[in-house]
Amino acid sequence: MDTRTPEPGNEPSRRTLLSLATTTLAGALGALPAFTAFAAPTRPAEEPAERTDSRHVLWWQAPGDAHSMIEQGLPVGNGRLGALTGNDPGRELLLITDATLWTGGLNDTLDADGQFPYGRDDFGSLTLLARLTVDLPDHDLGAVSGYRRTLDLDRGVVTGSYVRDGVTYGREAFASRPDDVIVVHFTQSGGGRYTGTVTLEGTHGEDPAVSFGAAFPNGLRYGAAVTAHGSGGRVTVHRDRIDVAGCREFTVIVGGGTNYALDAETGYRDPSLDPVTLALTKVRDAAAHPARVLRRTHIADHQALYRRFGLDLGASTDRQRELDTWERLNLRHTSDTPDPELEAAYLHFGRYLMIAGSLGSLPMGLQGLWLDGNDPDWMGDYHTDINIQMNYWMADRTGLSPCFDALTDYCLAQLPAWTDLTRRLFGDPRNRYRNSSGKTAGWTVAISTNPHGGNGWWWHPAGNAWLCNSLFEHYEYTLSRAHLERIHPLLKGACEFWEARLLTAAAPDGSGQVLIADSDWSPEHGPLDAKGITYAQELVWTLFGNYARAAAELGRDREHAARITALREKLYLPEVSPKTGWLQEWMSPENLGETTHRHLSGLVGLFPGDRIRPDGSTPKEIVEGATALLAARGTESFGWANAWRALCWARLKNADMAYQLIVNNLRPSAGGGNGTAFNLFDIYQTEPGRGIFQIDANFGTPAAVSEMLLYSRPGRLELLPALPAAWADSGSVTGLPARGAFTVDLAWKDGEPTSIRVSSTGGRETTVAFRGTSRTVRLKPGESVTLKGLGR
Amino acid sequence: MRSSSYTVLPARGLRTAAALALAAGLATAAPAAQAQARADTGTGTGAGTASSALAAKPYMGWSSWSMQSSKYPGLNPDGDYSYLTEANVLKQAGALAAKLKKYGYEYVNIDAGWWRDKDWKPGFDRYARQKADPVRFPRGMKPVADDLHAKGLKAGIYLPVGLEKEAYNDGKSPIWNAEGCTTADIVYDDLRTTNGWDSAYKIDFLDPCAQKYIDSQAQMFADWGYDFLKLDGVGPGSFKSGDNYDNVADVAAWQKAIAATGRPIHLELSWSLDIGHAADWKKYSQGWRIDTDVECYCNTLVSWENSVDDRWADTPAWTRHAGPGGWNDLDTLNVGNGEMDGLTKAERQSYATLWAIAKSPLYTGDDLTRLDSYGLSLLTNKEVIAVNQGDTPPARLVTASDPQQVWAAKNPDGTYTVALFNLADAPAAVTADFSALGFTGRAAVRDLWNHENLGTYRDRITQALPAHGSRLFTLTPKGAAAVSLTGYEAESRDNTLGGSASIADCSTCSDGKKVGNLYLGGKLTFNDVVVPEAGTYQVRISYVSGDSRSASVSANAGGAARHTFASTGDWGTVSTATVPVQLKAGANTITVDSGSDYAPDIDRIDVPKSS
Repeated sequence: MDTRTPEPGNEPSRRTLLSLATTTLAGALGALPAFTAFAAPTRPAEEPAERTDSRHVLWWQAPGDAHSMIEQGLPVGNGRLGALTGNDPGRELLLITDATLWTGGLNDTLDADGQFPYGRDDFGSLTLLARLTVDLPDHDLGAVSGYRRTLDLDRGVVTGSYVRDGVTYGREAFASRPDDVIVVHFTQSGGGRYTGTVTLEGTHGEDPAVSFGAAFPNGLRYGAAVTAHGSGGRVTVHRDRIDVAGCREFTVIVGGGTNYALDAETGYRDPSLDPVTLALTKVRDAAAHPARVLRRTHIADHQALYRRFGLDLGASTDRQRELDTWERLNLRHTSDTPDPELEAAYLHFGRYLMIAGSLGSLPMGLQGLWLDGNDPDWMGDYHTDINIQMNYWMADRTGLSPCFDALTDYCLAQLPAWTDLTRRLFGDPRNRYRNSSGKTAGWTVAISTNPHGGNGWWWHPAGNAWLCNSLFEHYEYTLSRAHLERIHPLLKGACEFWEARLLTAAAPDGSGQVLIADSDWSPEHGPLDAKGITYAQELVWTLFGNYARAAAELGRDREHAARITALREKLYLPEVSPKTGWLQEWMSPENLGETTHRHLSGLVGLFPGDRIRPDGSTPKEIVEGATALLAARGTESFGWANAWRALCWARLKNADMAYQLIVNNLRPSAGGGNGTAFNLFDIYQTEPGRGIFQIDANFGTPAAVSEMLLYSRPGRLELLPALPAAWADSGSVTGLPARGAFTVDLAWKDGEPTSIRVSSTGGRETTVAFRGTSRTVRLKPGESVTLKGLGR
Repeated sequence: MRSSSYTVLPARGLRTAAALALAAGLATAAPAAQAQARADTGTGTGAGTASSALAAKPYMGWSSWSMQSSKYPGLNPDGDYSYLTEANVLKQAGALAAKLKKYGYEYVNIDAGWWRDKDWKPGFDRYARQKADPVRFPRGMKPVADDLHAKGLKAGIYLPVGLEKEAYNDGKSPIWNAEGCTTADIVYDDLRTTNGWDSAYKIDFLDPCAQKYIDSQAQMFADWGYDFLKLDGVGPGSFKSGDNYDNVADVAAWQKAIAATGRPIHLELSWSLDIGHAADWKKYSQGWRIDTDVECYCNTLVSWENSVDDRWADTPAWTRHAGPGGWNDLDTLNVGNGEMDGLTKAERQSYATLWAIAKSPLYTGDDLTRLDSYGLSLLTNKEVIAVNQGDTPPARLVTASDPQQVWAAKNPDGTYTVALFNLADAPAAVTADFSALGFTGRAAVRDLWNHENLGTYRDRITQALPAHGSRLFTLTPKGAAAVSLTGYEAESRDNTLGGSASIADCSTCSDGKKVGNLYLGGKLTFNDVVVPEAGTYQVRISYVSGDSRSASVSANAGGAARHTFASTGDWGTVSTATVPVQLKAGANTITVDSGSDYAPDIDRIDVPKSS
């Protein structure tokens, strides 16, 4: 029988768990918008232990340069303020971003086709804040040897080192959330000296200056500042640069931001905030502390999140370990031999990016915080028909629930504008997607959204449902009533939108009347005017179910929820095509789209939806139809499309297919080809020879790994549903969250669990299954239980 | 004013205007010892034998053309190519003597235009020989050579091949020292044209007057005291082929004529000489340009893409032809002033590195009065110059012709000259695997550019290189062992041929056969490659390819790596490229797949017995 083992000292333990989950991080983050004045951080008294686990250290033997930063720059970020670092010995370069530095605006004048403009001035674009360069003319790359740089995922620190004339030089870069600055610290051993120049430049026409501030035509004010100090030599701050002469070591501190505010009522501005003044204050405050103090403050903050989740997929070989990260990716590709530590590190890299890119400010769009210019493809925006959702699938799944809040905060802040735009513009007679009923209610979005409340490109009716379903899934992972209360208006407004939009139609099988979605486009192929697309039917079916649960939990809107539930029961759900054998993406037996198209819009009920389950509860032919459609889509797409496929195969418990797709994403990108860049960013080849960075695969792929290790829904956990042979020998995962608000610590050997511990982070009852065996676990929040008899 | 052709013609076309006419000459009865010696050279490791007084080492110096051809502000204020004047030549010579002579730079080469005025109108003497333009060279050409000699330097001059059209003079000009011969006698009746610009009438050497004309020019240069002649527009080459552009007879005539003067005059041929005639060039000259002009005809002297970087692709096929007495000329080395050169520091170092290790002549075209400190350090690095000038073979491309490359030479003293290149547009780590060089174990590494001992490395050395960057090392093996290889013939019955692939005869291949027709999916799989342990093996692929081709190489079920294989020069010559292949312990398959392109023919592979 199961041994329920309350932790020794149950109460303290519970407090620990809960405080991690909510108090420390959520409290600090929820209360404080990032770029604002806030109290001095709590500083740990001691240096962090020197970590010896090289599995958390990525390393390379070449720097990035100014023209290849998106593939070679190493990312740092404090949740809002980010940078790509080049780490060239002779010219350190940081391309600095702020998540809120967006051009554009509400963008509420429709184009002639009833859709939204999509340009960098009207809709807007995420842009760079500044370029920081540290020129050290005597340290030209051609004159140094033994160059090495690392990204220490566990510490959140980028390092570089090299030897010049017998002196070993080192540098570290990190972006601190507690101090709200980026720090670059230069050291040496062996009697070396640094002489050079630090230059900060804006990217919107500003001249080099140690501080600058300006405003966009949209009224958004921004600013940045840099300072430096050193020892053993001279640091001179000029108006346009900082000179470093003969220093044994020196530290550069840069900060900046905007007066963006997540508040529709103020037009998304904080009129009282002067960015350049605040930036100067922050860099001066930080400069009052030695670099090592800033560093340990940052590391403690970073590790509070990073160390919540542990993963061991098995041991790599010595040969694999001795290679640098890029060589290792190449070896993984050409040897077709699993590299479990590299594959685990790829997941942790995604977690690193999540911590660096999504805390306390806007959520991450197509490129997260990392740009190499002011013209990112698709504006670096929020794409609501897969990309932003995929970005956040992994947050809850890998122990980073606090990072999810940026998405919630964003949606809530946009809701008034989205509602207004929907009310005023969705019914425009030029809009091909308008409701044929003539009525419009609630809110929806376009395929692209910005942080000004604005939409871009085409209307995307079902986008509201998908956003809501993501937000509700976060509730399922956390069971946070506060979160549910916050998102309730979003769910309600989305339901109201669909009440006005659904059409009554005859069921294809003659069984009576069904409700179908009005004319729409199944992202992003096939007809533009199909009614009852599977994509919309599935998303709305899930939305309606979530809304009913929210209403029940919160004790609100019972009558409305009952009406919605009644509508849900009449929703048409897709059938299997007798012609193709596929689950139909459209209400047609014909294949109306591209067979290997990147999107899996017709499979949204398999993942991230959870309607189609290969466990006997879903009709067999539906599971088979979904499987056939997924198989037809193939395995040779690119980053996010492969990640989505992997997630779907994991749901179908097909470990080999899921793993193959992950491996495909790990292929080294060459010449802009699909795959993983030198810096592990995912590259999507838009045309031969041109690859662009899209961050979603860096998050979707880790999400797939987690789904291969654990399937969960409220009330049910399935262990190792799709564990591939590559990872089966032995492994473990700790702090693996489950829907229903549990976490699982799990070790396995030869593909079977050897130790299982389930802890409640709010959930009270769930079954835990491995293959045919299952147990029911009942816990109070904060309690843990060790399960025996599942597996070996 | 400028003629319109200056502005509308593309870069190579500009050289059209630079081509020429001719002049008279005479032949003395001087013994042709030099010529005979050159004619005896074989095709082995190099050209010259006994009397390689000329070009015993790659020559070093300066040439006028880079500055003449550039649109860099201020260089050619009086029109295109106007930089070429006596004053400028002597100014550069003075700077050369002061700054570079002690490092071995000695030739000052006057390039095209010395007989042309500002408007590029040519002048000839009554014997149809080029005549110094009185504005550019008011004292004539001999005093310039005398002045160069007075500085301890050597003097170089220039001609296009053939009889320049403007020198023909309706066939009426007499040939100097050739009674009864006129320009009508030395060309074909149909006035067929020749050279890279079609600026000359092809000379018919069946008529004895033709040799007399060449003799007359050679004697003129000898009389003036010139030590070097660049003969330009020579074919097959210079972007021309076919009988009218076959200037082998011209080159032979020049060699003969020079010998007859009794003055040692270095004969250098230009440009993009046909490798199929390498034996001719080696027989008759001391150097041959293997590629098109390095100059960009733009606002700088050169640019990386136009066309410095071509040399990495085009040099490998020529490597085996270089040696004492005759060298592969990669063209001018413009690394002395970053701003004028139009190159990054990394590019300049790579440029100088390839020239040095390939044993190309080292002649700069920079403004020597304006060398920057980095440029001066590149041009005067004694360790690097020693690689170029020492008694060592040229380095050859060891790896595939990929963006990251390793070139190396095994030196007579047991050391290795090793250059790493990163031709990609982004930084990259580049590794030289010792087993690809032919040894295993440890080696001490000397960084030649930085004058620094980097210590001892085991099995390989990896360094970070900037975009278009390089490193240059001398490796001294420490108790190292030679790499032991196992060979697998492509034509073996154990292999699997796919698609169009087929076995073909190949007299220069091992066992006389190869696998060819590897195109559009054609592939070759070696089925039973046995190694003792898993690892990355540096597999040496012997191949034949008349042009640069690519192939995907994979092992077992692993992903393929696409590699480019440099041209071997023709379809009868075997070269090797070493590529890393991931093998597992025991039996492996190795596949060479053409993919969607054309792959080289494969002779064999050799696999090290340990990784």
